[in-house]
Amino acid sequence: MTTNPMHQFEVYRMGPEINLGAVNLSFTNASFFMAISALTILFLLFLGTKKKLLIPSKIQLITEMSYTFIAKMISDTAGSRAKPFFPFVFTLFMFVLFCNMIGMLPYSFTVTSHIIVTFMLAAIVFVGVTIIGFLKHGIKYLELFVPKGVPIILLPLIVIIEIISYLSRPVSLSVRLFANMMAGHTMLKVFGGFVVSLGLLGGWLPLSFSVALTGLEILVAFLQAYVFAILTCIYLNDALNLHH
Amino acid sequence: MKDLNKISTRLEIAKKKIKKNQIKDNGSNAASLGKALKISTELVAAVVVGTTLGFILDNWFGTKPWLTISFFFMGVATGILNVIKSAKNMHKNLKR
Repeated sequence: MTTNPMHQFEVYRMGPEINLGAVNLSFTNASFFMAISALTILFLLFLGTKKKLLIPSKIQLITEMSYTFIAKMISDTAGSRAKPFFPFVFTLFMFVLFCNMIGMLPYSFTVTSHIIVTFMLAAIVFVGVTIIGFLKHGIKYLELFVPKGVPIILLPLIVIIEIISYLSRPVSLSVRLFANMMAGHTMLKVFGGFVVSLGLLGGWLPLSFSVALTGLEILVAFLQAYVFAILTCIYLNDALNLHH
Repeated sequence: MKDLNKISTRLEIAKKKIKKNQIKDNGSNAASLGKALKISTELVAAVVVGTTLGFILDNWFGTKPWLTISFFFMGVATGILNVIKSAKNMHKNLKR
């Protein structure tokens, strides 16, 4: 038993050590929980689409709701031209959501509380959106950095500001998810430690806090997955429909 | 056929219920909380990226502190502009 609130974020190796050149490719607990969330999504979607009932069963209802939720989000924020990117956004949303939610289970590991994971996801979005933008508009995509109606004298400054703004997208996207998950889980652990150290006499107050925080954390886990997906849609919209 | 009729009446009732609920909790949904969380990190990220960019450029051109300092302020300006931009977008969506 450890009372260190940061101990839960430790990554350790499971199974043998695998080295590919200088790269350590060992299977860690992070990879284990990523695999679990991916398998859970696959299992859920498989069960939900197996029997196509007119009156949906509960699990079919969940599957259909998640489908319409993402489909509506894409058509609301990025329009009908972003429809081909539905599988990508759906995968991203489900993966982040299940990583967050599985992290809420006791004794589990929150993959999204590591910035390298969230930054990698954000980098995929960022690089993908940039490539889509250049494929769609060619060199005209750079017009994104030159807003209309700006005086010539201010233009160099505005262009630099727009470039910083564009480059800050993956950072804000990844830091938001990582910071929310990490702060929440640390807080839960700290309050849990208070319950133990205050004992039977004074432990009830932090225990009630812990219960309330767990509810809040489940909300945050959903919300952060939602924000991640909706920002991906917004960035896709910028790349597909080039106007301000 | 009988079953289908039953379903359609049940659907009608359910739709009416949803409509009622929608009017009630308009504005206090999870989406607005998500937007609020979005704004706070936008401000910080722009400052961090601006400063890092300045630092990298400084190393390239060998003009040690100057580009870092100017890009820091540029990052602050970018962050504030980003927040204003998303606040304006939220306002626009609210009016619609």
